[in-house]
Amino acid sequence: MRSKFPSKWLPYLLLLPTLALCAIFLYYPVIQTFRLSTYRAILMGLHRKYVGFENYVRLFTSADYLHSFTITFIFAVGVVVLGLAISLAIALLANHKIRGARIYRLLLIWPYALSPAVAGSIWLFLLNPTAGVVNYFMKALFGISPDWLTDGRLALLAVTIAAMWKNLGYNIVFFLAGLQNLPGEILEAARVDGAGPWTTFWRVTFPLLSPTTFFLLIMNLIYAFFGGFGLIMVMTEGGPNKATNILIFNLYQDAFRFHKWGLAAAQSVILFIMVVALTLIQFRTTGRRVHYGGQ
Amino acid sequence: MTVRRFLVVSLVLLFAVGLALGQDKIKITFWHAMGGWRVPFIERMVQDFNLTHPWIEVTVEYKGSYTDTLNAALAAARAGAGPHVFHSFEVGTQLLVDSGIIVPLEDLIDKFNLIVPWEDYIDPVLNYYRIGGRLYCMPWNSSNPIVYYNKTIMDKLGIEVPRKPTYSDIYEISKKVVESGLAEYGITWPVHSWFFEQWMAEQGVDLVNNNNGRTGYATEINLLDPAAIRIVEWWKKLYDEGLWVSPGRSWSQARQIFVSGQSAMLISSTSDVTAMENAAVEQGFELGTAFLPVPDGIERHGVIIGGGALWVTKDHPDEELQAAAEFVVWMTQVAQTIRWHQGTGYFPIRKTALKALDMEGWFVRFPNYRTAFDQLIETKLITATQGALMGTFVEARSTILDAVEAVLAGEKGIEEALKEAKALIDQSLQDYKELVGG
Repeated sequence: MRSKFPSKWLPYLLLLPTLALCAIFLYYPVIQTFRLSTYRAILMGLHRKYVGFENYVRLFTSADYLHSFTITFIFAVGVVVLGLAISLAIALLANHKIRGARIYRLLLIWPYALSPAVAGSIWLFLLNPTAGVVNYFMKALFGISPDWLTDGRLALLAVTIAAMWKNLGYNIVFFLAGLQNLPGEILEAARVDGAGPWTTFWRVTFPLLSPTTFFLLIMNLIYAFFGGFGLIMVMTEGGPNKATNILIFNLYQDAFRFHKWGLAAAQSVILFIMVVALTLIQFRTTGRRVHYGGQ
Repeated sequence: MTVRRFLVVSLVLLFAVGLALGQDKIKITFWHAMGGWRVPFIERMVQDFNLTHPWIEVTVEYKGSYTDTLNAALAAARAGAGPHVFHSFEVGTQLLVDSGIIVPLEDLIDKFNLIVPWEDYIDPVLNYYRIGGRLYCMPWNSSNPIVYYNKTIMDKLGIEVPRKPTYSDIYEISKKVVESGLAEYGITWPVHSWFFEQWMAEQGVDLVNNNNGRTGYATEINLLDPAAIRIVEWWKKLYDEGLWVSPGRSWSQARQIFVSGQSAMLISSTSDVTAMENAAVEQGFELGTAFLPVPDGIERHGVIIGGGALWVTKDHPDEELQAAAEFVVWMTQVAQTIRWHQGTGYFPIRKTALKALDMEGWFVRFPNYRTAFDQLIETKLITATQGALMGTFVEARSTILDAVEAVLAGEKGIEEALKEAKALIDQSLQDYKELVGG
């Protein structure tokens, strides 16, 4: 059923405020960023020189930037795959009707309410090599005390886990909502047909949850690319020796610490293109298999 | 009814008069970058300035880290609403000179005929901020690195830490400490490029070319100088033999390792003296201090004055600029520097202040401050100790640290890492020169 507007201009008029806001706060800055990426500029563009694609050429021939790509890839895969798997598992458990379920659910969602700075500080305390709780148990159980944040590989592992943990609450909320909206009769039919919990999950629950999973996949990917910044800033500042220097942190560092505005603009264009491309790919591949239910 | 009306009218009048009086005041803003307990301390100083200068009203604001403050000042100044006075770290100097948002302090002092007894200021401190013979800003929180040691441990081992130790002194002492088991490690200091820069200066070697960037834009960094290699070799050796422990890039972590007795020595800023004295009392050990160690057989040239300075931004009415200059000069008055020193541990940058502190027995009570001063006063005035000027200093620091971390982790050889770092830094320096220096 299509509703009719009294005048054909009215819908455009109603859209105008949104469009104006988008134009001022979204499209204009994006265009400016594209433009700035073709300049070599410092001091917020006070001194600038047109250099064409030099910034892009430099980025893609820089060993450090390519390294940052690899780091970001590992970080993103860790955050998205581990994050989704663990939160789905927790959501399934939390979906059981047991006493105090509501309290459990509330507690599970809690980490999401923390700001990245607070979450980062908590992890810093936990992972402190000499006074941290993690190494207290490590020492008691295995007799070792790893340098979590000064060893490159461990540092990457630590920030990946922290970033994943930070987003668990968000994922659990959506999975729980998805699980509770599943049509009970189908699950019952599966049970009547003699399917075990394992089969029910993989054949019925998981496919039915696919819209939620798909949505979370995209949100988590975007989170991994952009949202990991705060934690990394607090925990490692991209170090040691760039071991946790994900693309977004590299960009921040180049722009706000090193004052290389043109180079940073080029990096944000690259990030922008990557996220758009990834989202498109996801819509084309995974999107096709997503079951949205209904008719 | 009439009484109430009278009250209302008089209140309104009072308010209007207050407003009018308030408007007569010259209002200036001051942004600084010192967090924690220093925030109320600085606020009190500003209050006192306002009290003694009833025609000026300084509004003070803590703006976050040095980088945050610098970015905020740049952005605000470009939008025409810059803070009159702001606080920046020493490595932002060249960038600020080129930013076009500041006015050299000496110009203001000349213009408004302010009386400043320059001969009373400690020269190495001013020297950092003299560019082309002109003083660009007022040094404020100045410090340099010294060795702190746990004297209780040293006494048990019968070790006398030399007042001016060498690299091998520190190595030998650390070894004895670790072997004795009295502390887990010999020494620690934060993984920070500042120490590297200081060790270059101690050896009398400029960090960058063109007389440390003082006679022209620097285009090359001296990372392949034997002096640079000596520093990293020693650092790596201490680390590999388990004598130096890495606190990462964190200053507080380094302090904690020392204070908790896990390490017998610490190299940190002289501005930590008060904090370390207090911690030593709490933890029940005696604190000793020594000069920054230098490589064996190398003459000591002294240290670079680190810390921050106060800058005045341009594009304000003359009366506001004058008030800003007066405020900045007031902050380094003898009385203020003494208070600043006693409250924070940063240097009083006036000779008279030093004398007064001495006469009052301050150095008898806190002999560890003496170490910091002697080290500063014995510094030779050469370009190496004057400190490097680089528009890309912050980035260069980060690149140097990456190289050091790669060496410590055994990912790269010393020369390989320094060579790669040099290539990156040189490129940035040349880009900067091309962009700014024409």
